[in-house]
Amino acid sequence: MNESVIWRLILKDVRLHRFQIILSSAVGAGALALFQTKREVPLVLGATWFSVALIVLGCMMPISNVVNERKNHHVAFLMSLPISARQYAMTKIASTFGMFFVPWALLAGGALLVIGAGFPHGAIPISTIITGLILTGFCVVAGTAVVSESEAWTTVAIVLCNSSYGIAWYLIIRVPETARQVGGSVAVWSPRLLTILGAECAVVILCLGLTLYLQSRKRDFI
Amino acid sequence: MNDYAIELDGVCKSYRFFDLDNISLQLARGTIMGLIGPNGAGKSTTIRILMGLVRQDRGEIRALGRRMPEEQASAKRDIGFASDDMRLYDGMTVGWHMNFMKSIYQSWDGDYAQLLLKRFGLRAEQKIKGLSHGQRVKATLLLVLARRPKLLVLDEPTTGLDPVARHEILYELTGVMADEGRSILFSSQNTQDVEQISDRITFIDRGRIIDSMDKEAYLERWRRLRLEAPAGVALPALPGVIGIRQTGRLAVVIANEFAPELPSAYESSGARVHAVENMTLEEIFVANVERSREGVTV
Repeated sequence: MNESVIWRLILKDVRLHRFQIILSSAVGAGALALFQTKREVPLVLGATWFSVALIVLGCMMPISNVVNERKNHHVAFLMSLPISARQYAMTKIASTFGMFFVPWALLAGGALLVIGAGFPHGAIPISTIITGLILTGFCVVAGTAVVSESEAWTTVAIVLCNSSYGIAWYLIIRVPETARQVGGSVAVWSPRLLTILGAECAVVILCLGLTLYLQSRKRDFI
Repeated sequence: MNDYAIELDGVCKSYRFFDLDNISLQLARGTIMGLIGPNGAGKSTTIRILMGLVRQDRGEIRALGRRMPEEQASAKRDIGFASDDMRLYDGMTVGWHMNFMKSIYQSWDGDYAQLLLKRFGLRAEQKIKGLSHGQRVKATLLLVLARRPKLLVLDEPTTGLDPVARHEILYELTGVMADEGRSILFSSQNTQDVEQISDRITFIDRGRIIDSMDKEAYLERWRRLRLEAPAGVALPALPGVIGIRQTGRLAVVIANEFAPELPSAYESSGARVHAVENMTLEEIFVANVERSREGVTV
């Protein structure tokens, strides 16, 4: 019985945020379409819009689904429903991460397909790492939002993550084997690239685990 | 099944600048309890703890026989909760909220919801952001009442409403009690609202319950005596009297355990009794709070 309430709450969140999800996905898909032209300017524009679509969605979801829900006093309404405080927290974690993860997985998968079909496969590792970095940043922001429920702390996390993307991409591009192999016909997963990818996965898992742990220790929900 | 809809036993919660201190109260099934207190008295904190929104530091809580907050998910199937700081989704319509509740509660009564929609002057297609404060409160109560809950917990539901809207809401609340198994805990600063519908009254101030009894008992026991005391006559503090205020020859005596012999006792001491008056719940509340703050148990 309670699973159905949890599911209803997740569906409610999806319904409330469907326009943001659809818009970001459409912009991301449009950006991928620009890749198909294989000309320099549309390619750069496509890469930029692709990243912007995912980064904006990654910032909007935690703010809109978690922080604003508290700020707009919806928590008392939701907590009047037949769920426990822990179930409410789990619902928020599931919907916030889910509403980002599904479009991210579709767009990241689409990007790899487009690159695999029409570009040198040497670009696949760096593309994977860059899209993985956006997922990692989202997890940091979403975890901060769920645990702190504070607009200020979530904004700090957004600023830190967004400002670190540029630095991280710059450093990744400067990894010697990346620069050497990005134009190659074969995807080469060097130990260094695998370490970066592993670090991204570790941060994602750590963020999810810490969020669940800290949330389960909360005593007050309003 | 026990006889209480709500049982709080020795509930404590400490904040930096406020303590809820040893709150114990019981609400019998089928009754309406008004929880009255000034701003910052602890009414909302008590209700939030009862609803599992805030966890108590100590003490036991049961709602409809279920331990809170441990069993809140199942308890809240039968509890309708609304508070003045509760907000619905601005961008969605009243109808969307009704469908959302219907999808969660099997007990949702669609016909009653339509009836309330008409009585409250609401339309299903109206977005929440287009509603006035009074309409928002009514929409929230509609969502709560149409679930047909066994227990209603309402935290200042009539705050900020005009007299007509307040009357409509109080009318619906009394209608809820047509089913004898239902119970209501209703907090308010408005003693008139509480007096109108409550069977039992609990006064709370500065995180402590200062008094709790049947409304009729309050109104029966509390009296104000207007006296004239000639010079040289000292008014005695007789049993049942909790306050004497004297200005020149005129005095006002407040009794919280009024006995028919009290006026004649003052007459015997040399005073003239001009009037014995009933007190309103608001006057009883203010006297209770003042006495509590002076450190005297009434």
